[in-house]
Amino acid sequence: MNVQNPQRFAPCNGSMGPAPSDAWKVSLPFPAAERRDMPFVDSEPRPRVVEARDLGRRFGSTWALAHVDLVVPRGQTVLLMGANGSGKTTLLRLLAGIYRATTGSLSVLGRALPAERMECRRHLSLVDHESYLYGRLTALETLRMWARFLGKQPSESALLELLAEVGLAEQRNAPADGFSAGMRKRLSLARTRLEQPQLLLLDEPMSALDGDGRRIVSSWIEECQQNGHTILMASHDIERVAPMCNRAVLLRQGQVAWDGKATEVVGNRVVGG
Amino acid sequence: MNVGMQTVAAARPGLGAQIFSMIRKDLLLEWRSRSRLVSLLLFGVVTLVLFSFAADADTARLRASAAGFLVIALLLSSTLALSESFRLERENSGIEGLLLLPADPIALFYGKALSSTLLLALLAPILAPIAIVLYSLNSSVGGLLAMLGIWALAAAGLAAPGTLYAAMTSRLQSRDVLLPILLFPLVVPVLLATVKALTLILNGDAMGQLRPWTLFLLSFDILHWSLGGILFSYVCEEA
Repeated sequence: MNVQNPQRFAPCNGSMGPAPSDAWKVSLPFPAAERRDMPFVDSEPRPRVVEARDLGRRFGSTWALAHVDLVVPRGQTVLLMGANGSGKTTLLRLLAGIYRATTGSLSVLGRALPAERMECRRHLSLVDHESYLYGRLTALETLRMWARFLGKQPSESALLELLAEVGLAEQRNAPADGFSAGMRKRLSLARTRLEQPQLLLLDEPMSALDGDGRRIVSSWIEECQQNGHTILMASHDIERVAPMCNRAVLLRQGQVAWDGKATEVVGNRVVGG
Repeated sequence: MNVGMQTVAAARPGLGAQIFSMIRKDLLLEWRSRSRLVSLLLFGVVTLVLFSFAADADTARLRASAAGFLVIALLLSSTLALSESFRLERENSGIEGLLLLPADPIALFYGKALSSTLLLALLAPILAPIAIVLYSLNSSVGGLLAMLGIWALAAAGLAAPGTLYAAMTSRLQSRDVLLPILLFPLVVPVLLATVKALTLILNGDAMGQLRPWTLFLLSFDILHWSLGGILFSYVCEEA
């Protein structure tokens, strides 16, 4: 399957007219029938963790996402690729129930969104560009607060162990507003460890992290895969992230432009934009 | 993953526990930024002092208007407190993070409204004695306690719609202007009832009017605390 054909896709200009229509759909680099036959999409009898049908999201007059059909079975690790503004973050935030779809239907973990987003969020975790931190709380206080809202009562030593795991043991009593971007990302990642989700949504999980941080993320992803959890990961760092995934989805102008095995995109620099 | 974390039971926290967690978090943030509380108190005190200058040295006029001056000081302080409280929530999308955990929006509303009420109620023990001295008021201990009670009801009446509107305007650039524009017309009943009730406490209640004004204030509080709980999820999340 060839994905090295950037000319087939129009550059993303951010504005897509008043309503989505088939007329501006980008052409797929493979026949529709071939896509239906993909073994990792529909044929396996695993429960569907994500099921999006004709999903679209508009911001003002701009369609950030349109006509997206995506089915992700349990245990799959999906890499979302695409240039800036291609709709990766919008898709992840739709899956987390932060945004409401303008068109189409969306079911996550067997629950319809946005109606059942509260129930859904109990089993998913989102790590994105926002740190969700209160600058004046220390790392330890932040974890303790999140644990309380999760209904967990971890011991002090368990929280310290978690902070040590993300390399923030020494900064446990330091307020988060003095943290670097990488440290904030590490603390956000610690939150996903507290949540222990069935569905992990990661938006640029490696960004801002140093080598140690990236190794932590990689080992966590591996652990989640071993536990049969589902992961959707948006990244531009294709070379590093694709080997961890078993499926890759390319978004262009808010549409699924390519959907295939992650092994096929390794070494391909055109897909990330 | 550490063993300690996995073995601890993770039952979903109830609404009360979530409200308590929210209040705890807000008060901890307040404690960390004590300068905010001090500036709020100073703002209230300066407002009272300025009103005393505006009314000249006419003691009778000062006494007659004292309740109004106190309530205006509370009202102006409340917009500062509410807008700052949501600025902290929006700084790193903290409230969005809590919703993702998922915290119940109802719990977030009541947690924030209760911590704002507590903060505004804390102004009373400082501002009331200052007003008594500045405006030459006569008040017994019983009267002072009644004033504190009315003040707490007024604080609750400002905090509930204030929390809702502060959440609505917190994403906007002109939030500092919009919040008072939206909030002030809505809380006119609080303003009226509190001024009437405090005036009756300070100047005597020959006709027994304190009770109906207090009930009116209480009714406003119940209505807006109920509405706020229902509407908050629409304000902080896409419906």
